[in-house]
Amino acid sequence: MPLAITLLVMLAAACGVCSAVPQGQTYEWYASQYGERTAAVIMALHADDAYHSWWFLALSGFLCLSLLMCNLIRIKPLIRRTGKEPGNFAGIWGAWVCHLGILLLIIGFALGQMTQEEYTISGLPGDTVPLADTGLQVTVDDFMIDWREDGTAGQYTAELTVRSADGKDEQQGTASVNHPAELFGYEFFQNSAGWAADVTVEKNGEILQKKTLCVQEYMPLEDDPDIVVMFYNFYPNYDGETGTVSPMASTRPEKPGYLYMVFYQGEVRGMNVLETDDEITIDQEYTVRFSNPSNYTLLMVKRDRFSWMAMLGAAILMAGLVMAFYLRKR
Amino acid sequence: MEQAENILFTIAMVGYFLAMLLYFVFAGLKRNAAAKAAAVIQMGGLAAHTAALIVRGIAAGRVPMTNQYEFATCFAWALCLVSLIFIAKYRFSFLGVFAAPVVFLIMGYAAMQSREIHALMPALQSNWLVFHVSTAIMSYGAFGVSFVLGFIFLVREKIRKDGFMDQHIPERDKLDVIEYRSVCLGLLFLTITIITGAFWAKKCWGSYWNWDPKETWSLVTWIIYAVYLHLRIMRGWKGKAAAVFAVVGFICVIFTYIGVNTFLPGLHSYA
Repeated sequence: MPLAITLLVMLAAACGVCSAVPQGQTYEWYASQYGERTAAVIMALHADDAYHSWWFLALSGFLCLSLLMCNLIRIKPLIRRTGKEPGNFAGIWGAWVCHLGILLLIIGFALGQMTQEEYTISGLPGDTVPLADTGLQVTVDDFMIDWREDGTAGQYTAELTVRSADGKDEQQGTASVNHPAELFGYEFFQNSAGWAADVTVEKNGEILQKKTLCVQEYMPLEDDPDIVVMFYNFYPNYDGETGTVSPMASTRPEKPGYLYMVFYQGEVRGMNVLETDDEITIDQEYTVRFSNPSNYTLLMVKRDRFSWMAMLGAAILMAGLVMAFYLRKR
Repeated sequence: MEQAENILFTIAMVGYFLAMLLYFVFAGLKRNAAAKAAAVIQMGGLAAHTAALIVRGIAAGRVPMTNQYEFATCFAWALCLVSLIFIAKYRFSFLGVFAAPVVFLIMGYAAMQSREIHALMPALQSNWLVFHVSTAIMSYGAFGVSFVLGFIFLVREKIRKDGFMDQHIPERDKLDVIEYRSVCLGLLFLTITIITGAFWAKKCWGSYWNWDPKETWSLVTWIIYAVYLHLRIMRGWKGKAAAVFAVVGFICVIFTYIGVNTFLPGLHSYA
């Protein structure tokens, strides 16, 4: 028992301290924020990824071991006590059931984390992308954003079709925020969305090439691959006169602004924001225009085979608490 | 709707303030009638407060539990409700002397927050919201009562003893048991809060646990109260030590609620 309490206190202290350290940053970032000495301490203690560090996992492991031993050791005395105190089963076994629930919850969560498959895919409506090396092909049939009157997004919905490697099996589903689609045993989470736009390149008044580019994507010119156009960022509401943008990135595009960059042989030759009717002229020969802003979906795909164990643990924990607190014989 | 909510909120706040003053009269001038009047006025304030929440819920078209103002006002509501239940159940009017100022303080904090009603972001549009936040509110309310009881326990010996005080402040053992029961209630609800939050996070973000500061500090709070129970049951830590734990635990609750939002922004920055 003292060991379990010590471990609990150590875990609580570790959690509290590490919550003040932004996770997943580089040494340079910590050095710029807190100074080099503190950054060195953070890195030495693995506090940059504290909750996955060896010492945190060891503490959690010892706690699980302690819980397991505690429950095993107490089985016999509790059985004896049950015989001596008839009618107080809940009171006697409540804490034991609680510990069992916590144990299952932690083990189920840990096994899920260790064995889960996790992928991220993105696509515009009509795109088909492979789901990593699973052999599955994911088609984004449609992607809709429910815009509210105030211009903010009310919901993001992706219509999906997933096909098996041989193309014989097919499953369809809808993924929206809080409502993942379950297809072929994988859960598809509507995680985020990004902007894309049609980029048209004309030469002497004729369309040379046209492509839908997502933000941060490049497009080399077919005629002269040394010239590359990059769709750097998109502003749904850009005020060209003042050069200001809406503070919210996820708003309905009323006055689109396209931040582009032009590279020649890898060097930046131009960078500016274009509005819908604007165009860039490159080498007095090529004309580039941006139009038709649209959204692509960013989906997180997961398979967790131990969810059931975590859920069972949670249910047992709740039952144990109710037994211990409210069903015991007073 | 907005005006109706404001009027009801003000009535609730004035009610809580008057109840607090009457509890002070009860304790200072030793007038039993003042405690009864305070409880009645507090119940009136709670009724107005409930109505204000209902009106806001109707105006927003959702449960009013999604931002700092809404959570604060619900927190005060739950603390008031749980303290009134404990006052009635244990015939412990003196609890109101310390609980009413805390309720009033939290209402004051709520009054300083923006009351604008915003549409919910997609991540918050879930039935889990109701279970997750309402259980959080109840757990905070119960922990608030345990804090007040712990505080009374700690200052009990310093209050000049006389027949009136003996009549209205339970014996140390009884006070300790009431405090223990409020911690049990709070821990039960906090456990439900964490579990429902984890399942919601799984549905929304694809992961049960993201080590977001709010999640982490909820876990820290849970561990503190779990340690309280273990030390109490296995090591016989009762009385003063338990009272100190109840006070420290509630400081942790307040940090989880306000401190994390202020100093450690994360996925719960809206709450």
